[in-house]
Amino acid sequence: MSGLDLPLATILGATEAGSEGAIGGGPWDLLIPLIIALPLAGFLFTALVGRRLGKSAHLVPVGAIGLAWLIGMWVAFNALGGTEPFGEHGYGQTIYTWIASGAPDQAGAFVVDVGFFVDNLTACLLIVVLTIGLLVHVYSIGYMSHDPGYWRFFAYLNLFMVSMLLLVLADSFLVVFVAWELVGLSSYLLIGFWKHKRSAALAAKKAFIVNRVGDVGFALGIMAIFVNVGTLNIRHAIELLTAEGAAASFPIPMWIVALLIFAGAMGKSAQFPLHVWLPDAMEGPTPVSALIHAATMVNAGVYLVARTNPIFASAPDVMVVVAAIGIFTAILAASIAMTQTDIKRVLAYSTLSQLGYMFAALGVGAFTAAIFHLMTHGFFKGLLFLGSGSVIHAVHEEQDMRKMGGLAKKIPHTYRTMLIGSIAIAGIPPLAGFFSKDEILGEAFKLHFEWVWAIGIVVAVMTAFYMFRLIGMTFWGESRVDPAIEPHVHESPSVMTTPLWILAVPTVLLGLVLSLPGPPLGPLLGLEGPGLLHHWLEPVFHPGLVILGHKEAEYQLFGIDGALIGASVAVATIGMVTAWRLFGVNLRAINWRPDPERVRRLTARVPFLYRASLNKWWFDDLNHLLFMTIGGRLAAFLWWFDRRVVDDTVNDVAATTVGAGRGLGRIQTGRVQNYALGIAVGLIVMAGSFLVLAAR
Amino acid sequence: MNGLPILSIVVFTPLIGALLVAVAPSRYARLLALAASLMAWALSLLLLIGFDPNSARQFQFIDRVPWIPDFGISYKLGVDGLSLILVVLTTTLSWISILASFSPIKDRIKEYMVSFLILEVGMIGVFVALDTFLFYIFWEIVLVPMYLIIGIWGGTNRIYATIKFVLYTLIGSLLMLVAILATAFAFQSTSPTGWQGAFDFEQLRAANFDPTLQIFAFLAFFLAFAIKVPMFPFHTWLPDAHVQAPTAGSVILAAVMLKLGAYGLIRFALPLFPAAAQTFAPVIIVLSLIAIIYGAIVALVQPDLKKLVAYSSVSHMGFVTLGIFVFNTQGMDGAILQMVNHGLITGALFLLVGVIYERTHDRTIAKMGGVAGVMPVYAVALGFFVFASGGLPGLSGFVGEFLVLIGAFEYSPIVAAIATFAMILAAGYLLWMFQRIAFGELSDFLKGLGHHLTDMTPTEILTLGPLAALTVVFGLFPGLVLDLVRNSVTSVLADVARQEPVVIPPQTALIAIALPILYALARVIWVARADLTGRGGAERPDSPGEPGHAVEPVS
Repeated sequence: MSGLDLPLATILGATEAGSEGAIGGGPWDLLIPLIIALPLAGFLFTALVGRRLGKSAHLVPVGAIGLAWLIGMWVAFNALGGTEPFGEHGYGQTIYTWIASGAPDQAGAFVVDVGFFVDNLTACLLIVVLTIGLLVHVYSIGYMSHDPGYWRFFAYLNLFMVSMLLLVLADSFLVVFVAWELVGLSSYLLIGFWKHKRSAALAAKKAFIVNRVGDVGFALGIMAIFVNVGTLNIRHAIELLTAEGAAASFPIPMWIVALLIFAGAMGKSAQFPLHVWLPDAMEGPTPVSALIHAATMVNAGVYLVARTNPIFASAPDVMVVVAAIGIFTAILAASIAMTQTDIKRVLAYSTLSQLGYMFAALGVGAFTAAIFHLMTHGFFKGLLFLGSGSVIHAVHEEQDMRKMGGLAKKIPHTYRTMLIGSIAIAGIPPLAGFFSKDEILGEAFKLHFEWVWAIGIVVAVMTAFYMFRLIGMTFWGESRVDPAIEPHVHESPSVMTTPLWILAVPTVLLGLVLSLPGPPLGPLLGLEGPGLLHHWLEPVFHPGLVILGHKEAEYQLFGIDGALIGASVAVATIGMVTAWRLFGVNLRAINWRPDPERVRRLTARVPFLYRASLNKWWFDDLNHLLFMTIGGRLAAFLWWFDRRVVDDTVNDVAATTVGAGRGLGRIQTGRVQNYALGIAVGLIVMAGSFLVLAAR
Repeated sequence: MNGLPILSIVVFTPLIGALLVAVAPSRYARLLALAASLMAWALSLLLLIGFDPNSARQFQFIDRVPWIPDFGISYKLGVDGLSLILVVLTTTLSWISILASFSPIKDRIKEYMVSFLILEVGMIGVFVALDTFLFYIFWEIVLVPMYLIIGIWGGTNRIYATIKFVLYTLIGSLLMLVAILATAFAFQSTSPTGWQGAFDFEQLRAANFDPTLQIFAFLAFFLAFAIKVPMFPFHTWLPDAHVQAPTAGSVILAAVMLKLGAYGLIRFALPLFPAAAQTFAPVIIVLSLIAIIYGAIVALVQPDLKKLVAYSSVSHMGFVTLGIFVFNTQGMDGAILQMVNHGLITGALFLLVGVIYERTHDRTIAKMGGVAGVMPVYAVALGFFVFASGGLPGLSGFVGEFLVLIGAFEYSPIVAAIATFAMILAAGYLLWMFQRIAFGELSDFLKGLGHHLTDMTPTEILTLGPLAALTVVFGLFPGLVLDLVRNSVTSVLADVARQEPVVIPPQTALIAIALPILYALARVIWVARADLTGRGGAERPDSPGEPGHAVEPVS
């Protein structure tokens, strides 16, 4: 019920919407707002009457997303195709003036318009958000079918879609911030969906508060942008911020602006040290983890940095910080993922790690590679999470992989799709993950961030290892499932497995499609020109790349690039095979039994690293110490201060007055003359002091 | 409006209602009071329709009758956008509070309703008075019914709380009276017309008072208003008063009475003493920042639901004073918006505390839990206002706060950075509270209540509905308020910019700043020694918990 009536006003105001383009938006002025308005209507409807609809509560929300998907795809298709009015640089429409502080035409006035903007970057995000959103909605029909809060779940999901779509469509920093916080709200509601579970409530709160830490940075960044250039319209502000020679006159230097925006991105995309909320967020139902904490919300930070790429390009030092934090998060999270036993937590840390890759790509200036990985990762990680949900479902809500094993035959669809997802994330060609990850690493190397490349290669080994450890512990080897549950293990209904297979398609093909006709395979097939995604995003990232002065290096398949590809494929294979060896594989050709003894021996050799990984490098404990113990002490002290110092001073003054009053009581003689005298003296003193004051 | 004294009618409709309630049989008291407050509300909406925000004249609907002509005191009422929006806030919250009192108040219902209606007269009067003496009269009128409401219908420790509240406010307002008289004296001594207009706000604001007078008069006004707001360190009456007040009393206290102080600052303290206001602005900004952060941190460890909301008020009102004293359009716009929003949202939060208190006769957060399972509508309502209070964008709290922050950023980025930090703390104490009340398994204490723990009644929903609706509407269309107050904001900022700040000798300033800090340090050491060695004075009965075993804030 929050501020989401906004797009309703949108429909009403769409006809008078002024447009940026020379040509009127025509039907687009209605269609673009509809992408948000449909889920909003679904949310309001379900929130109000969903309770009474029982098991058919999903019809309206899923239908709304379905329609929004159709419209969104049509919009994205036209935007990417460069149809008028989108052209090369996108199309924007203004809905209404939200805030106007000060006369709107006056300098220094703070004016925020609500409007939408669709360019190729938005279109790419629309594809990911809407497609995975739709599939997760469908999957949830099966996954949540036994939950008493069925209708509530779909209402929240729709609310989340509204927020996320607003985030990618908004054309003002402040409206993005609105969506930013609304995404946080819906995430809060969905993580805490099982409200009777204390751990879920705690995780929800933690997610919201940690996100708020980043949001403070983002909010300050928005203020800084306004103070610098006097507008919050994204395109206009970026133009003014990066105008030739303008930086000298800004009260707030560019590097601070960039750093503040990055703080916001770190919160939402869970980058170190704000990464602590994401693993806990797995307390939510699994479809939520797939939608929000793998494929959409956590990408918001990547999107924001990509969207503001010229700002970051104007602050090269901050770019290095972005790359460093990104690659550090990647290796940190990967190291933790290697020892976790909760299937969803492994995937959560894997998500952190992959997001780290994306930030590393942004930091080195490979913006397109970051968005490439965002898209492929959205699909294969969405697949993996939904698959893990199917596994959890099959073994009766068990998430501990030590109580799984040997499930491959029992849940074949889940197994096959998850295996495809794992090969993709490990970076084995020709699946999607290979193309995007390889582009990140290759660009990092060629842009002379060799250290990023080196760490990235190590992360690639670890990724392949922990993913096949997950597959091994879950699907291969002997069954360790609780004997009571064992006979009841069953494959999920087709409403759940169909989305898995649908997601498997882009998991296999997306990398190929988006990279052709460009490298790495284009030249091999005799094709020329940049890859499809490069072609789409070139107008978006051109301004940033111009400021950075990056030159397109020639692609040498039989040179440096080929060597880099070889290296990353090789290490991915090493990781995979190691995990195979340790956690077993029963392909017909090879039959390596899992060997727990060997695992134990290996971990005993590096006890510190093992403990660190298992305890997540003690970040939760550190935070507990800092904020709960020390912060709690501070709060308790201040409260003590409030009562014993501030308040008691007031009470002491009152007590003194009372005491003085008792003393003065003696002059209560009961004689009217004395009182009259007192009043007269008082008045004379007062009047005298006024006169003295007045005369000065 | 064709010579009809509509403003006076709005002010005195509740008074007529009070008289009617007083003479009618008690069984009609509730309905009569509600009718009178609804009447006042409807009339105030008429004002809203008739008001022209774009008019060149700042004050409209002026009623003026000479009262004590020898001293130039007159009965002068008028509204500009700022007063108007606060009048409407008052009349809205008044009928909501009266409706919310229907079932909780069982004893002396007639006296209660009379007090409430007279309270409404006083509050509206404060917002529309344009004569400083008349303003003072209304200001004091407010005090009496509130004293009675807390003192008679309050909790167990109500006498302590109400006396503290009255004495504290009275000290401030008496100093303000002296300052009002002093400015009148000063005005008449230089004015060719003598006493004529010596209490008339519109004439006083044009006068240029002597810097020394400005300093002292400003301090007197400021103290009166700062106690009411309440600003750190004058805030400690607030938690006590809230905890002891009946639900509707808390609602009005938070939603309207705290705004009297902020309104007074904008309406009188700034335009009359612009030079002094600028001199003290840095100090007041620092005090506002302390209130914002300190209030939020202290709210984190409150075991009592009402105290938590009370301390959150200290934090939120800190944004108001911060916005006022950065002296720019965004800050002032944000401060006014924040006043309205705080009225709506905190009013609603106190209503929600009342709902749970009605059923449990307890407000200890630790005893609650799992309410969402048995009271789903209540949980939704609480969640809605918790997020509204936490400044969720799209709801009204956000726009006010953000405008204040923008204003503060223009003044100094450091100030804005410190204030923005409150976003995290607010999420902390609000969500912590929400989680412990709504989530988890139903607590044993609540289980023991059995079927008494019912979901919200239609009446309760009716009291919260309008507040929720306005929270959404103002969140999406803050222009409804901002357009209305544009002239008020422009004129007060112009008034401030008219003069240069008074220069205070640095050594004086240093001493004035150092003395309270040294005092606080000395007192901390002294009290801490006493507390640690166990020779500390006896704890007051209403302050539970020692810092040692205070509840951990976030878990």
